[in-house]
Amino acid sequence: MDAEKEGKRRSFECSSCQFSSPYDYFGKRPGFLKSIVLLEEAYVMKDPFTPENRHLTLGGHCSECNKPVCVGKDCSIFYTRRFCIDCVMENLEEFPKEVQQELNKKDKG
Amino acid sequence: MPRDRSDEDRYRRSSDHSRRHHERRDERKSHHESHRERSSYSERSQREDYERHDSSSRRRDSNHRHRYDESSSRYDDTKHEYRKEREDGTRNKIKSSSRSSPERHRERRPSRFSDLHVRKPSWNFYGYTSDDIKDAEKLQKERDTSTSNSGGTVISTGLRASSAFTGSSSNQNLEHQDRTQEEMKRTDKQRSEEQGKPETETSSVAWSFDWDRHRYELDKLFFDDDGVLKRGSSDYGDFWSFFERYQSFQSKKQARLGSHKAKKTEEDKHAKTGKLKLPRTFDKRHSINLEMTVPSKHTLKSYSHVTASGEEKDELTSERVLEFKKVLLLYLGFNQKQQFNKVVKLRKDQCNLPIAKYRETIVEAVRKNSVVIVAGDTGCGKSTQVPQYLMSAGFDSVAVTQPRRIACISLAKRVGYETLHEYGSQVGYQIRFETTKTQATKLLFLTEGLLLRQLQLDPVLSQYSVLILDEVHERHLHGDFLLGVLRCMMEQRDDLKLVLMSATININLFSNYFKDAPVIQVPGRLYPIQVEYVPIKESEQGSKSERLDARPYLRIMQRIDHKYPDSERGDLLVFLSGVSEISSVVEAAKMYASQTNRWIVLPLHSSLSVAEQDKAFDISPEGVRKCIVSTNIAETSVTIDGVRFIVDSGKVKEMNYNSQAKMQQLQEFWISRASSEQRKGRAGRTGPGVCFRLYGEDDYDAFQAYSTPEIQRVPLDSLLLQMVALGLKRPREFPFIEAPPANSIENSITFLKEQGALSEKEKLTPVGRMLSQLPVDVVIGKMLIMGTIFKMIDPVLSIAAALSVQSPFTSRAHRDHDAMSARKSLESDHGDPFTLLNAYDEWIQMKASGGSSSRKWCKRRGLEEQRFYEMSKLKKQFKELLDTNNLLGMKDARREYSSLERQSRNRERKRLRELKRKTQNSSKKRKLLKLENEDFDDSDEDEESDDDASKLQDIQFKLSHDVTEMEAKSNMNRSLLNREINLLKVILCSGLYPQLAIADDCNSYRKESDQVFHTKAKPFVVLHPTGIFATNPDVLEPPDGDTLPEETTGKRGALSAKHQLLSYVSLLETNKPYLMNTMRVPALQTMLLYARSLDTNQQCTRLIVDEWLEFCFADSEAAEDILPVVLHLRATWIKVLEMRLKESQRSLNFGAADLRVVHLERLLARKLAEYLSSHVEYTMRKLGATDLQHLYIGSSGGLLKSSDDEFFSTFSKDSEPHPTKGGWKVTDFMTYGW
Ligand SMILES: [Zn+2]
Ligand SMILES: [Zn+2]
Repeated sequence: MDAEKEGKRRSFECSSCQFSSPYDYFGKRPGFLKSIVLLEEAYVMKDPFTPENRHLTLGGHCSECNKPVCVGKDCSIFYTRRFCIDCVMENLEEFPKEVQQELNKKDKG
Repeated sequence: MPRDRSDEDRYRRSSDHSRRHHERRDERKSHHESHRERSSYSERSQREDYERHDSSSRRRDSNHRHRYDESSSRYDDTKHEYRKEREDGTRNKIKSSSRSSPERHRERRPSRFSDLHVRKPSWNFYGYTSDDIKDAEKLQKERDTSTSNSGGTVISTGLRASSAFTGSSSNQNLEHQDRTQEEMKRTDKQRSEEQGKPETETSSVAWSFDWDRHRYELDKLFFDDDGVLKRGSSDYGDFWSFFERYQSFQSKKQARLGSHKAKKTEEDKHAKTGKLKLPRTFDKRHSINLEMTVPSKHTLKSYSHVTASGEEKDELTSERVLEFKKVLLLYLGFNQKQQFNKVVKLRKDQCNLPIAKYRETIVEAVRKNSVVIVAGDTGCGKSTQVPQYLMSAGFDSVAVTQPRRIACISLAKRVGYETLHEYGSQVGYQIRFETTKTQATKLLFLTEGLLLRQLQLDPVLSQYSVLILDEVHERHLHGDFLLGVLRCMMEQRDDLKLVLMSATININLFSNYFKDAPVIQVPGRLYPIQVEYVPIKESEQGSKSERLDARPYLRIMQRIDHKYPDSERGDLLVFLSGVSEISSVVEAAKMYASQTNRWIVLPLHSSLSVAEQDKAFDISPEGVRKCIVSTNIAETSVTIDGVRFIVDSGKVKEMNYNSQAKMQQLQEFWISRASSEQRKGRAGRTGPGVCFRLYGEDDYDAFQAYSTPEIQRVPLDSLLLQMVALGLKRPREFPFIEAPPANSIENSITFLKEQGALSEKEKLTPVGRMLSQLPVDVVIGKMLIMGTIFKMIDPVLSIAAALSVQSPFTSRAHRDHDAMSARKSLESDHGDPFTLLNAYDEWIQMKASGGSSSRKWCKRRGLEEQRFYEMSKLKKQFKELLDTNNLLGMKDARREYSSLERQSRNRERKRLRELKRKTQNSSKKRKLLKLENEDFDDSDEDEESDDDASKLQDIQFKLSHDVTEMEAKSNMNRSLLNREINLLKVILCSGLYPQLAIADDCNSYRKESDQVFHTKAKPFVVLHPTGIFATNPDVLEPPDGDTLPEETTGKRGALSAKHQLLSYVSLLETNKPYLMNTMRVPALQTMLLYARSLDTNQQCTRLIVDEWLEFCFADSEAAEDILPVVLHLRATWIKVLEMRLKESQRSLNFGAADLRVVHLERLLARKLAEYLSSHVEYTMRKLGATDLQHLYIGSSGGLLKSSDDEFFSTFSKDSEPHPTKGGWKVTDFMTYGW
């Protein structure tokens, strides 16, 4: 509601792909969510596809290099915290093999 | 009103369609991630295909045959896609159908979830997709059955582990065979991996646990109002279906692994190692970036723990709660991914629109110019994107006009959605009955008509800084007028930006009109369409009166069957000129279809019920094509996906207005080249298409380039009234983009003067001002104003509303004998307006009785319920308008709702919100058509699926109307006394006059033959077969009576007090000129009240009315009784009206209603009632041409005033000789003693 009054909302831009989108909240505890907290400081918007009060995480900052990245699988992953894909690749062997396989599968596909 | 109606209807109807279409598209888009591609052709593959072939096929456009073959082979490529689509379609149907078949059983979800409206998402959690799981499971199942060494573990979960995964039939198995091989490898690998997973993965929480038994408790823990998901929402349904699958997956895994507990590997002990300090052990939980705050630790404590005794096996232990929570988290993580992909897809789709490349160009052009034209064809995205471009470029207060109401709603929704509600409530719409406009609104979609109305209050539209007029090429009356107004306004407002958006039709016309405004042309997105000219043989052309010969159409169907394998999908759309042509072709095509079993034939035109029209959007079964036989409704306003073939008859029926006869004429014409291209283009929306033109190429060349704009062929009464009301000084010189015929303007000005809306000096009168504010035709508006004077406003409002919407009678209504007999009690032998009144009142009764069965009630009687809802809204709007203008006199004390009523309204409001949510999330799905649906008997099914929508409407209706009060009023209407009916008729005639007709002397008054009537301007018109008098002509039979001696009248004629005339709402010529919506009225009383000229002889025994009818009395006494009364009444009526309107100008001050007016009104009502029931015997006849020549003695007659005329002198002391007729002018309408 506040955002509506302010007019145009702030915009989040991924540093890795071209994605950009307005967001409603940055942080871990979006006020409009009652029983959910986020495990990272994230750019969040109210889910535009449902009339319920749901949220949609658009992106966050890489916990290693601090770049803003979207949650798209080509730009970042979340594994206990957010990693941009570059940082993941640099430290690939540190991730469990399930995660590595997942990334390999992506590369092939 | 008569003139606008058909076109209005068309828009209304068609807009319904476009909305449905849009909604479907929205739905498809929004569910895109969860459904596999459902569009008729797989768009992607088609597009790639198109791109591959595009250039080559265009080059070969002339070489049809060659292209033909090539295109057919091309279709083979995509065959696979079609089949897939069809399967999806089938699956859809199965969900909505309740009949069972083995296959369906397999497909169906456990019944207790069927009410949740669960979509089937494509699962993708921690890297496994639904397909992976499916195949893995299938594999497992196969192994289980083949080796049967699984230890006989019976998997029985409370949720009855869904078999949905294994449901896909064996042919899919074959299709995926090679994939399965791969899966097998992967599954083996996967298994070995899973064995290495920590305990939580294959936790001690048995997956055979009956979760459903604890549903209530789980709901309370997780899905309360403050919960993560709301009970009843679609996500909630989604989750449970996710849970089900997860559970089934887990339990199978458990079965596979037996009781072996996974061993912890060495690695686990080295948690959090390395630079990143990541836990080495993989847990899906770590991939999810959120946590739940419910249930609290405190709550959790109240649950028991797992004990060794195993007593807890049915109990919801804290471990189980946590396990449940984990699955919920996994779901939320999965859901986040899904939603994010939706956003990405949306952005991508926007970027892929043809117009996206022109974004900067458009924004720049608008910045630099005051008028810009954006021309682009179907599918280029201009309607949704251009407003967004301008918004994000910083323009605010943007208004976008649309010719159709429904487009406003769907576009506002679509733009809101595409911008992810970036602008919040700043995107809104405004149409006749609804608005979402608020203070915050910065982008508003509204109808052309509404913007014109806003001009009355805000002549320079200062509230907007950008105006976008969309679809200007359609050249509707309002659009054309708006163009003119805005061109003038641009001179006063140099800050205003004007953007015209149009199809690539006649762009120079618009550009020139606005001083060579720059044009930005955007290509559309059409696939190549092959055109073939197939002129109809002379022997099959037939004459006008014959039924259309369907053979040429059947031959094309045959050719399609012959040439294109039925595995290639693609429907046929046939364009015909009108309803009777459609029924000829439909009939023949159905015969053909029943022989071949390859076609489903569906008519499409605006007089079908909404449900019948909806069928055109449904999906045909595999190997069967739809053949949609349509009017030009499918040319622009209705868009049907999946059309591959077009048959174009090249004909259209258009309404034209004959201002001499005041008659609408529906005539058949050749279409324009523009319209011909438009029809063709309908085949190329989702893939390459074929268009068969049933005319020669030379015919095509001879077509006029563009269709005749509306302004050239409709009456301009309302438009001119509005122009004068806007203060346009010289309406005749208004700079229209293309001027209407001069005589059309003159006729309308004359008409407005006759109706008292314009003064002789062509200034707006008080009545005219009032009329200009009512959103209806002058005729209906006048009824409303006159109705306010008498205390009978409710039935007048109902009838005025009924006459302003499309008829509630469907085309079935007049064919179906059951419907006809069910409707019998609604019919009124007073005429069609009264039948409409009865129908509406009866419907209100149904609503008030609380039955949700009003829809069924309507259906049984061949009525379209939608129309009644529209009437209610319109009626309410009329009432409010009259009320704000202080025309309703003493207000009804507003009824207070009782506390009980208030409670129930609150409940209803809550239900409404729930239903809205529900319907928003599950907009109508396309159904699967059945092959042999010759009648509409699958209605029950329709009702079931439309249930929510109709409930929603029912509640909305009840909340916005006081049904109890309406019921009371309808009760009153149902028991109208005869004298009240007469009064009502007179009120209606105040608007309808002079639309009256007299019966021919030779009428038989039997049903079998046409009854002939004569209006003043148009002799020999007949009753329309749908009217009440066509089936009950006997009530029109002229009365018997003595005849007057020859010397008095010169002609025979029965002396009676019961002569009648027919009033009608419109005169419509199709194959014959028809009187529409007729009502019988007392002849003498009506004529004397409204006649523009009343001439009597000296004895007052002979009256000539409007130089059209002659009334004769047996002696002068009769006339002397009635004539002074008439003069009195007319004078008082005018006075009352003046006073009323004067009062309406004054500001509203309560209780200050002028008592004199009230008194005068009562007097008038009483006198009028007396007058109407006065018993005067007279003869009546229509004057012939020769009579008219010798009617008056002329000015040379030189009659002296005799003592007889003394009673007239009280009205007009200084009556003077009439200049041409002779005799004396008593009032401006009455001449005496010629
Ligand atoms: Zn990105
Ligand atoms: Zn990084």
